[in-house]
Amino acid sequence: MTEHENPPEFRELLDRAAQLPKSIAPPHDLWPAIEARIAGKRPGTGEGGSGWVPWLVIPLAAAAALAVLLLGRRGPPRPGEAWEVTRVAGVPLVGTTPLGATGALKVGDWLQTDDSSRAVILVGDIGHVEVKPGTRIRLVRAQRTDHRLALERGEIYATVDAPPRLFFVDTPAGTVVDLGCAYTLAVDSSGDGTIRVSAGYVEFDWSGRRSIVPLGFRAETRRGFGPGTPYAEDAPQALRRALAAFDFASGGAEAVRQALAAARPEDAVSLWHLLGRVDPALRAGVYDRLATLVPPPAGVTRPGALQLDRAPLETYWNTIRRIAWRRTILKGIRDIDPRTGMAR
Amino acid sequence: MTDLVRQAQQGDQAAFQSLYREHVGRVYALCLRLTADAAEAEELTQDAFVRAWERLATFRGESAFSSWLYRLTVNVVFMSRRAARRRAQRVFAAEDPGALERPGRESNPGVGLDLERAVAALPPGAREVFVLYDVEGYRHEEIAQLTGIAVGTSKAQLFRARRLLRGMLES
Repeated sequence: MTEHENPPEFRELLDRAAQLPKSIAPPHDLWPAIEARIAGKRPGTGEGGSGWVPWLVIPLAAAAALAVLLLGRRGPPRPGEAWEVTRVAGVPLVGTTPLGATGALKVGDWLQTDDSSRAVILVGDIGHVEVKPGTRIRLVRAQRTDHRLALERGEIYATVDAPPRLFFVDTPAGTVVDLGCAYTLAVDSSGDGTIRVSAGYVEFDWSGRRSIVPLGFRAETRRGFGPGTPYAEDAPQALRRALAAFDFASGGAEAVRQALAAARPEDAVSLWHLLGRVDPALRAGVYDRLATLVPPPAGVTRPGALQLDRAPLETYWNTIRRIAWRRTILKGIRDIDPRTGMAR
Repeated sequence: MTDLVRQAQQGDQAAFQSLYREHVGRVYALCLRLTADAAEAEELTQDAFVRAWERLATFRGESAFSSWLYRLTVNVVFMSRRAARRRAQRVFAAEDPGALERPGRESNPGVGLDLERAVAALPPGAREVFVLYDVEGYRHEEIAQLTGIAVGTSKAQLFRARRLLRGMLES
């Protein structure tokens, strides 16, 4: 049926159809769920951010070893190897030289952006780092098995599609270890900062203290203290305050008590971290609260967990991180029970 | 090709978010009218933007980004439909006298409210062709290509949709 074939009685209908609004705002913002789904993906590749399981040591180690083996066939890294850097906005500096459309960031070079400039660093062939305004960052190492930047201050968004433990970012508060993920890392002028993970997992290490930050979580970092206990993006303020007091202000037993009181099932990741951080005298209380919020899976015993035996803690972690992942990835799509990870 | 599209193609999610803000209303409206189901429209809108991100490298700037995105959205809706026939059970059927009163989609107040409801109450095939032809401005050849139906079927569904709508609006 063409327009001139339209019977007269359809004219009004067509006029009204033409007046229908072309745009209708969705009832709520869909971007957070979209952002979570595209995090870790590069446009056009269709490859997802991988859900690396930090405790599956053997398969990860095997994958890493395989990757090293395969990558190693391409030959040893060339001395002075550089990464490509692209100007996105303004005039970033490489050293003291204004960056053109693209340039090279050599080992030892500093890349600096002012308030209005941004750039993207290609991390070898495994990922990229968006350098936000007001950032100073240096290429430390450009080896097949050690891609390493040092973030002095500012903010970056890193996306890596590679086996874990090939990409590192040193900060004044410790080292971010990529476990197959995407994250935003910010460091202020005093060396303190925040890491927010938008795909996969990140490990943050400092002097033997370690935090594993999953998708949908963040952790504060402090110079001289290392990484704080990770917490969910929507964690209650009371929990955040208690964790900050425990991690960075010698909050001790009172801070732990407040954290346990404020914790929801959605905060199991935080309590799991506390298990290994609190004094032995407080550990039973942490475990009992955690077990109430997210029942431990088969194979996890109270005595084993209180002794910090590796196997039960890994088993418990796998349950907790799966629930956290499902809850975040299905946000806005399915209502996930934070105690079980199942759709309600 | 705009700077935003170019930046998004380079992996800049902030640029892609700007594109989302610019186009989400149109994409959501398209999904809502094609499905007549607000919850499903939200899911498909998300799917469309995720698919757009995944396929962004294939956009060469030969058409407007909006055209490319809306066509992709239609594809997402129809691929979803083909993959899950159960969706047909969720849409309103014109023959169902309670259809117009049922919740399940967001009403659009103001101009076109009755027409929106009436469109939502159309049988799926007729509604899709009406939305694509009369609201979105696609040609029958394009609709046939997008939906996998024959051009003649598209014309017949449009005729049917218009007759049903006119009857509903006059009743």
